[in-house]
Amino acid sequence: MNNENLKFVIVGHVDHGKSTLIGRLLYDTGSLPEGKIEEIKQICESLGREIEFGYVMDHLEEERDQGITIDTAQTFFNTEKRNYVIIDAPGHVEFVKNMISGASQAEAAVLIVDVEEGVREQTKRHAYILGMLGLSQVIVVVNKMDLINYDQKRFESVKKDILKFLLDISIKPSYVIPISAKKGDFIANKISKMNWYDGPTLLEALDIFKTKESANYKPLRFVVQDIYNFDKRIIVGRVESGVIKKGDKIKILPSGEETRVKSIEEYLKNVTEAEAGKSIGITTEDKLFIDRGNVVIHNGDMPAVTDRIMANVFWMDRTPFKIGERLMFRCSTQEVSCEVEKINRVINSSTLELIAEDATEIKNREVANIVIRTDKPVVVENFNKIEELGRFVLGREDTCAGGIITEPEQ
Amino acid sequence: MIVVLAIDALEYTLVEEFNCKNLKQRFYGKTNIKEFSEPKTMVLWSSFMTGKNMEKEIVARGDKEMWNTELDMEDTFFRSFKNPKIIDLPGFSYIKEQHEQERRMLKYYFDAQSEEEKKNIRTEYNNLAFLHHRRIKQEFSTALQGDYDFVLGYFSVADVIGHLNFGNGSMMKLIYRDLDEIAGTINHTLIVLSDHGMERVGIFGDHSNYGFWSTDLKDLGNPKITDFADMIKEIPEVN
Repeated sequence: MNNENLKFVIVGHVDHGKSTLIGRLLYDTGSLPEGKIEEIKQICESLGREIEFGYVMDHLEEERDQGITIDTAQTFFNTEKRNYVIIDAPGHVEFVKNMISGASQAEAAVLIVDVEEGVREQTKRHAYILGMLGLSQVIVVVNKMDLINYDQKRFESVKKDILKFLLDISIKPSYVIPISAKKGDFIANKISKMNWYDGPTLLEALDIFKTKESANYKPLRFVVQDIYNFDKRIIVGRVESGVIKKGDKIKILPSGEETRVKSIEEYLKNVTEAEAGKSIGITTEDKLFIDRGNVVIHNGDMPAVTDRIMANVFWMDRTPFKIGERLMFRCSTQEVSCEVEKINRVINSSTLELIAEDATEIKNREVANIVIRTDKPVVVENFNKIEELGRFVLGREDTCAGGIITEPEQ
Repeated sequence: MIVVLAIDALEYTLVEEFNCKNLKQRFYGKTNIKEFSEPKTMVLWSSFMTGKNMEKEIVARGDKEMWNTELDMEDTFFRSFKNPKIIDLPGFSYIKEQHEQERRMLKYYFDAQSEEEKKNIRTEYNNLAFLHHRRIKQEFSTALQGDYDFVLGYFSVADVIGHLNFGNGSMMKLIYRDLDEIAGTINHTLIVLSDHGMERVGIFGDHSNYGFWSTDLKDLGNPKITDFADMIKEIPEVN
């Protein structure tokens, strides 16, 4: 096994078996804390019922609530090939928020569909979000096959429905796998009851996925969070992409002023460089005016510095947005007031139906292509180039929409 | 058929937290039991079935004797039905030996000196309560298939287990899920009612000073436990 981690999210309709699947994945890979499964089994037996793997997740959540387990928002297991992190996404709003904020970046997704219920509105909405967020590594699992006596015909019918929808949103799943999370069929083990299916198990399919290319290889984007004035002036921030080194010639955006990195400051460490993902401080050779939200880059590969952005947004607030309303645009640590200049089109994220073109409002759970005008220039990127500066949220008092930038400048 | 799922110590906040949809039904809320000086099981269920505050009468019997209360059908609203089935209800058809044994073991637990002894008693106590729960579940399920016009099933598991294990969230969650599934199997007019709820005291649980109700019929607001006798009699199916 190598040391790489693959982060993935399981999405789908609320009762289609997400918790059971997570519990089963942990059980089949021997990742559950010792004695846990026995304890749950015993309570279930006492109540005269069969154990369900969804309870395992309940149990872990309970421990998280009590502070026993440090973090089950990210659940870990491993196969012979590598480590996996399941990112907890209780609902699509949380999922979008997590993905957009960068708190938990999934590299792959498992879309779960109940074979009895088939493709539901929420299934489609979640799939749409996967597409919007650029997640191309997708596996569809058709769950609860045991309840339909492993009927191939029904599986093929659900498979046809989901593939048709995914095709419309340009997602091509790597596999569509019939499973029973409850019984453990085709999660880690194959069973003869489905010998009509000759594809991989879910774990085998996950092992085929690629981990994301390190953001170290992308151009430098060091986003400023704060300035500390001690005996020296330290610019604190996070390296969203690239690598920053002592002595590097750097440019500060949006001002465009240039200087060199005098030192890299990391608490209790003596370092000369910092890679993507690190929160560090830097000092510069020249004293420049730098503020929170500024972006430090190397000369050369420039991001856009613009006040006009075209983007796709997923509206997730009950109060609809109406043209003319002012919102806060937040991208990394940049925060600036903005208005929506134009709503090019609004789409129903479940049916993909075009609701309106040149619209005046966006309602809850609708997706829209919009043009944003910020009050001040911001430093942004096309999402497909550098995700870290290509995703943003729009807010009133709370976040009300998440989006990705499709064209930074017009 | 009208069905009452009488659940001892069903706690409103846990029904919410665990999102027990079947227990909640369309309308649900807390009952008001402030007229009682203490949330005592025997007092509350006796008051429920007679439709009047029975605290004075029951408490006067003393702590031990009160558990022997056995009201006459004629004193309860059950008489409004032609063929009612009342399972294990305190003050009416209570299986005394079972519940006496539970109370005895609870006392042993708190009297026990060593942790080892406490652990063994807890296991035995839990097993006893769960075994009884399985039996009641079976009896209740059979009754639902029967030719009754009123079925009341009293489930004590949340109270009995809760007293020693309320701080064990997973155990309580599984119990609430089980109770929720029981509610989900009922295809008749259903009223879910508890005498009181439960609040956490470390790993233990103590009675809280409100109960739980739910129904699909109408919003009852913040009813008293004594309101249910008349309310049930007024359900059209009874008349």
